[in-house]
Amino acid sequence: MKPSNIAGFYVARLRARVVQELFAVAGIAVGVALLFASQVANTSLSGSVDQFTRAVVGRATLQLRARDPQGFPASMVGAVQRLPGVLRVAPVLEANAYLVGATGRQVVDLVGVDPSLGSLGGALARHVTSTQLAGRSALALSASVSRRIGTGWRRPVEVDVNGHSTEVAVGSVMGKAEIGGLVDSPFAIVPLRFEQRLVGDRESITRILVQPRPGREGRVRAELARLAAGRLNVLPATSDATIFHQAEGPASESTGLFSAVSALVGFLFAFNAMLLTVPQRRRLVSDLRLDGYTPAEIAIVLLCDALMLGVAGAIAGLLLGDWVSRHLLEASPGYLSLAFPVGSQRIVTWQCVVIAASGGLLAACVGVLNPLRAIFAGSLPPARERSSQSRLGILWVTVGGLVCLGVSTVILLAGVQTVQLAVLASVSLLAAMLLLLPALLGAIVFVVDRGQREVLDASRRLALIELQSSTVRVRSAAIAATGAVAVFGSVAIEGARHNLAAGLNRAAAEMALVTDLWITSAGTGSTLATAPFQANFDRMLSHLRGVRAVRVYRGSFLDIGDRRALVMAPPRTAIQPIPPHQIVQGNLVHASALLQGHGWATVSQALAGELHLHVGKRFMLPTSRPATFRLAAVTTNFGWSPGVIVVNADDYARAWGSSDPSAYQLELDPGVPPVAAQAEIRRALGPRSGLSVQTAAQRESIDRATQEQGLDRLRQIALLVLIAAVLAMATAMGAMIWQRRARLASMKVDGYDERELWRALLYESALLLGAGCSIGALFGLYGQLLLSRTLATVTGFPVVFSVAGASALTDVVLVAGVAFAIVAIPGYLAARAQPRLQCG
Amino acid sequence: MLELVDLVKHYRVGDGEPVRAVDGVSLTVGPGELVVLYGPSGSGKTTLLMLIAALLRPDRGSVRVAGREITALSKRDAARYRRQELGFVRQSLDLIPGVRTGDNAALKLFGAHGPREARRLVTPLLERLGLGERLGHRAEQLSMGERQRVMIARALSTGPSLVLADEPTGSLDTQRGREVLELLREVCREQRVATLLVTHDPRAAAYADRVHALCDGHLTEHEPGREFVPVPSAEAGACEPGSAS
Repeated sequence: MKPSNIAGFYVARLRARVVQELFAVAGIAVGVALLFASQVANTSLSGSVDQFTRAVVGRATLQLRARDPQGFPASMVGAVQRLPGVLRVAPVLEANAYLVGATGRQVVDLVGVDPSLGSLGGALARHVTSTQLAGRSALALSASVSRRIGTGWRRPVEVDVNGHSTEVAVGSVMGKAEIGGLVDSPFAIVPLRFEQRLVGDRESITRILVQPRPGREGRVRAELARLAAGRLNVLPATSDATIFHQAEGPASESTGLFSAVSALVGFLFAFNAMLLTVPQRRRLVSDLRLDGYTPAEIAIVLLCDALMLGVAGAIAGLLLGDWVSRHLLEASPGYLSLAFPVGSQRIVTWQCVVIAASGGLLAACVGVLNPLRAIFAGSLPPARERSSQSRLGILWVTVGGLVCLGVSTVILLAGVQTVQLAVLASVSLLAAMLLLLPALLGAIVFVVDRGQREVLDASRRLALIELQSSTVRVRSAAIAATGAVAVFGSVAIEGARHNLAAGLNRAAAEMALVTDLWITSAGTGSTLATAPFQANFDRMLSHLRGVRAVRVYRGSFLDIGDRRALVMAPPRTAIQPIPPHQIVQGNLVHASALLQGHGWATVSQALAGELHLHVGKRFMLPTSRPATFRLAAVTTNFGWSPGVIVVNADDYARAWGSSDPSAYQLELDPGVPPVAAQAEIRRALGPRSGLSVQTAAQRESIDRATQEQGLDRLRQIALLVLIAAVLAMATAMGAMIWQRRARLASMKVDGYDERELWRALLYESALLLGAGCSIGALFGLYGQLLLSRTLATVTGFPVVFSVAGASALTDVVLVAGVAFAIVAIPGYLAARAQPRLQCG
Repeated sequence: MLELVDLVKHYRVGDGEPVRAVDGVSLTVGPGELVVLYGPSGSGKTTLLMLIAALLRPDRGSVRVAGREITALSKRDAARYRRQELGFVRQSLDLIPGVRTGDNAALKLFGAHGPREARRLVTPLLERLGLGERLGHRAEQLSMGERQRVMIARALSTGPSLVLADEPTGSLDTQRGREVLELLREVCREQRVATLLVTHDPRAAAYADRVHALCDGHLTEHEPGREFVPVPSAEAGACEPGSAS
């Protein structure tokens, strides 16, 4: 057969079944859209950090980086420039700053640069050259930041950094034309010397970007390491992107799992749609065989169908997915924006497009080639034989499901030790559900049938007869599987999210409620208290009315390998230096006592695993003045996925070589309301202090909001999956009912009236949708346990274990209920069909 | 048992002349009596059956079944009448695919009996129709003749006073067609059921108590016991039945 003949043949047949084909295209499109949108959301976060990092570093491949926010002397730039093999260098001073404009505020990465950065050729440096800002006390902003905080060219903006607040004029606003996708990144550029004034340290920088001469990178790296003398880090210039990738890992993996669930729902949607056209294709196969076409020729004809449907579905799906990712799926940076310049830009990679489109084509091929056995069989087996084959098939499928369930259970009981095992267990559980579904569905219908034996209701009997009919079993299973997969995903991941959120909230409360008031630098530094400030207010604060005690808290981020760990250094005299529920190994009372001594630390689980630590073991921290600690206990990560280290504030000052506080913890006299004391302290600090004063409750609530923002994406995808599942089930069920109109009409001849037939359809739909969703919920609860265990053991998140039974029930009622309500309409119309007799 | 009096049903198709589908038909079928009705395509047979089954309302005239006027029944009462008093054997073989013989035959009994009881009630009938060994088979596992017999069992399952049979032998070979007609006659006589059989099959006349022909909505009587040669179309002058030796 020539390709033109095949295409012509397809078009000729299309005219006769255009509605079914459009439905199939819609099914594929929804699947592709879900897959595409969730992938875009996933890649946008890491893509934005990657984009920003590359825009700053340009052609630099190495960097000398400070191990603390205070940085190192700018005089080292000359020493680096003189190293053999170095072509270009550029000093950079970075700090988290809080910009306050006329209508809003925004945390930004404040980047201080000098003209040398332009020579590295980074996209950012090309547009923010020294000519725009040189010698000026001004800053350059991206248009989106400018818009968000309500400022513009030459207008003032308040910059809060390191506890100092300064009013600065905006010297440049960069739009999309100048900096492309970076327009959505949260940054501000200032001349290096000006930023040094803003942070209150005229000599410091935080990194030196280095472009070695061609072929000299190894040599330069060695020279930089010698110069660093173990007090600075020598890293690839783009290490921020690598570190962010590690930090984003857990969120990315959970979104990835959800992407897989989305893809499966989409695939089932498409498969349901394709099942509608199976009878026609079976007839086509039969006709072509009778007309003497070879199996290969028939397969080509069907593959042509798949290609047409797949391509149309993939194109429509990519367009729909693009819209969904723009309008419905936000890429929320969440808590990671506290340590990385995460932008809100949408980044679409070619991999996203290829994976989503391939998924659509695959669904089309599997659906179209459903009658494959009929193509290649020597002769079709008689009906009775087919029936026994079908029973045997279900038996094997059930055995396969039980094996998969066993695999998941063994992994769960063994404690889910690695991410790979967690993925295997989740996939195995999903497979178990799909393989066991036909048997479970059959069992549910059987039990309901048994329970209805004595009920004299013709509608219910008709519904049960239809559900037990062997000819609609595949279609029924496909519809139930759609609901089951969606509810499984929603219950498992939403449940795990709920457990994680509960754990994070408890950790936030335990960290915030250790004192009455917190004073931190404004902006991101306030959330985790990681931005040290140069101030010496303890005496002034301790003399304020109602203040009982003032304690110094220190903290920052520390890069260890690919991890940007959070370092928390509560006061040495803190009664509760470790949040009580966060201990994984060790004794809380003993570890707390050790932390009040000298040279002890706790580290989080994943970090302890990576550094091969156990309680009591000595280890070295790569701080600016490397120091040795002993491990007092192993903790959860308190919600900071790369890991957490707790030392006391005095040990911190020794190891980091800085006595700057990053927070003051204030204890109030009994009976003094925190809000009143907060107002008093704000007055005492004055309007230009650049410090933030929070009550413990306010701090806890901000922590919660930040943590939950990071988990929003899962909730959004869960909602989309549920919507898609409702649509898929409703349309497939509706189509199945619609195709049955003639038979329903004929039942009127046997004395059934419209109401009885409609009730029968509703009962059948309710049973099928309810059973599918319930099976999904049951497996979803198992999945919740599995994912929660994974989060706790593999990534060390503070998880509170619970079974979200109420949430699962809500999902079942919601998905099955909405689909049922939609199906009621075609059901009503189908029940009204009039009988047509065959005679003259 | 069945009494049609001056039954009229006209249709209007578009702006054209009205189609006189049934035009003043009067007919009586007594208990245990089998009446065969011949007619070419478009002669009004479908309309007549739908009027008797209360699926259509006549423009004029009366349909009485067991003395009860059924033309004025509400939709619900009409459904109840079809389920309890009427048996309808169709050509279209409306069995539910994938469903076992017992359930397919007992379809009309489910409102009044539980599934086990319903199956128990139809089993003797199915055995009588030669399907005793096919009770557990699904519809698609039955031959065409067997399927037709399941439809007869369904039609007779409620003990109706009237059976309408629409081309019951249309899709059967000669031997199977003869068997079905014999069965229908025997069961109707045994159970004293009035039967109106609409067919093209010329052999059906041999089993009939009376034979009628329907042409252009008019009914004419034919001599019983003689094989009938129906004219296949309702073209002008083609409605008169011929006879064969």
